[in-house]
Amino acid sequence: MSLFAVTRLEWRRLLVRPLAWVLAALTQAWLAWTFTLLLGGFLASQIQRAALPGGPGLTDLVAVPLLGQLAQLAFLVVPLLSMSLIAGERRNGTLALMVAAGVPASRIVLGKYLALLGWLLLWLLLTLAMPLALAHATHLDWGKLAAATLGLALMLATLAALGVACSSFASHPAIAAAAALILALALWSVNLGARMAGIDGGAINWLAMSSHVQPLLRGLFSTADVLWFVLLIALALALAARRLDADRERG
Amino acid sequence: MTLPTAPPVKPILQLEHVSRRRAGRPAVRDLTLGIGRGEVLGLLGVNGAGKSTTLSIVAGAMRPDSGSVRLDGGDFLEQPELARRLVGWLPERAPMWPELTVREHLDAHGQLRHLRGAALRQAREAIIERLELQPLARRLAGVLSQGQRQRLGLACALLHRPSLLVLDEPANALDPVQVAGLRVLIREQAAAGTAVILSTHLLAEVTAVCDRVAILHDGSLRHVGAVRADDHAALERSFFEIAMNHPPANAA
Repeated sequence: MSLFAVTRLEWRRLLVRPLAWVLAALTQAWLAWTFTLLLGGFLASQIQRAALPGGPGLTDLVAVPLLGQLAQLAFLVVPLLSMSLIAGERRNGTLALMVAAGVPASRIVLGKYLALLGWLLLWLLLTLAMPLALAHATHLDWGKLAAATLGLALMLATLAALGVACSSFASHPAIAAAAALILALALWSVNLGARMAGIDGGAINWLAMSSHVQPLLRGLFSTADVLWFVLLIALALALAARRLDADRERG
Repeated sequence: MTLPTAPPVKPILQLEHVSRRRAGRPAVRDLTLGIGRGEVLGLLGVNGAGKSTTLSIVAGAMRPDSGSVRLDGGDFLEQPELARRLVGWLPERAPMWPELTVREHLDAHGQLRHLRGAALRQAREAIIERLELQPLARRLAGVLSQGQRQRLGLACALLHRPSLLVLDEPANALDPVQVAGLRVLIREQAAAGTAVILSTHLLAEVTAVCDRVAILHDGSLRHVGAVRADDHAALERSFFEIAMNHPPANAA
């Protein structure tokens, strides 16, 4: 029960804070502009594509690149939204109130995580609404779009979990944001050197987030990729809960 | 030093040999203290005496390094839900979520303590009325004055009708009229059977509302005794004797 109380409280705070609205407005404006440009390019290339049966369609040329833009923005948006989830509460003393109310650390972490995830999924759905608005007029590759959406959702969920973990370890929200950004970028590009050297397998590639998102964006669903995200989310949230427990022990 | 008075026969809260270190130094040392239902216990001490640490432990926000805390007969450390049900806590400086209104604050506190629906609404409106928060009900906590924040913090602590009320410097930033109102409220709670622990720097606060006083110094309990409203001078003597004659262990 206290899990939903924490989620509701965090959701309410997200909705009344200007930061969440400003980020939503700016990013949606940017994505709408990108969508218009992608759609313009798609329409301009219609004649050439007519000569290539089975060539790329609206999903490949508009929807997936738009989701790719969202993925790039997420590296900035998620740390900004997650930074004060726990670090901010610790600073203003309200975290102690939650602990004193008998809410276990795991529920505090999970409740806050679910609220942030809700916001991010809404953000994803709003972006998705742009290509979906054209579904009645053109052909969409639903399988590919579903895989790409799942990939993006998993990526957002993972970044959110990393953000919550960084917020639980940091003493100041700004430090949490910087740590989450650096960690996310490092996790994305940890295999850059290996790729440049032409190495496609190995542990370093398995570790990189890009290795698991990109196949999904191409429409390739793999249980191993999904498992990678689930493991990372569970690890980050468990570390955050552990840190909160330690707070109570250490004072 | 005054001889300790006997603890209440059947205390609602009983601390036994509680110790706690903070920032590498002992903040509370071997503290044994009890409080009975309907009793108001004043916790006195200079800055750094261990009052806030003691109250954080009692409120369930912090675990002691050693010792036991029993609340209403249950092991407080093993059953954190006891804190949720039975303890109301007003920490120093009344922490708030600045983006929530006064009413939303009370709702959030109630929900965290498992109050729902009509019960929550009823408790919320009753405490708003009792603490005269109606004019502030729709105002954001972030724009409240320090005194108003204290009143809201007090409302949050009282919302679920706790059996033990833990108040850390509740008179901070309150004007004299509000301080008088606070004293009436504390006595009201005690009359209704609520145990109240009141931490303060103000000796006058203790003589005005407390039944017993405990003086902490350098993390240790140095004095426990009954308070007589007409003997402010005796309390002052005890307090200064302890504060001046017992420099902190780590002092130069």
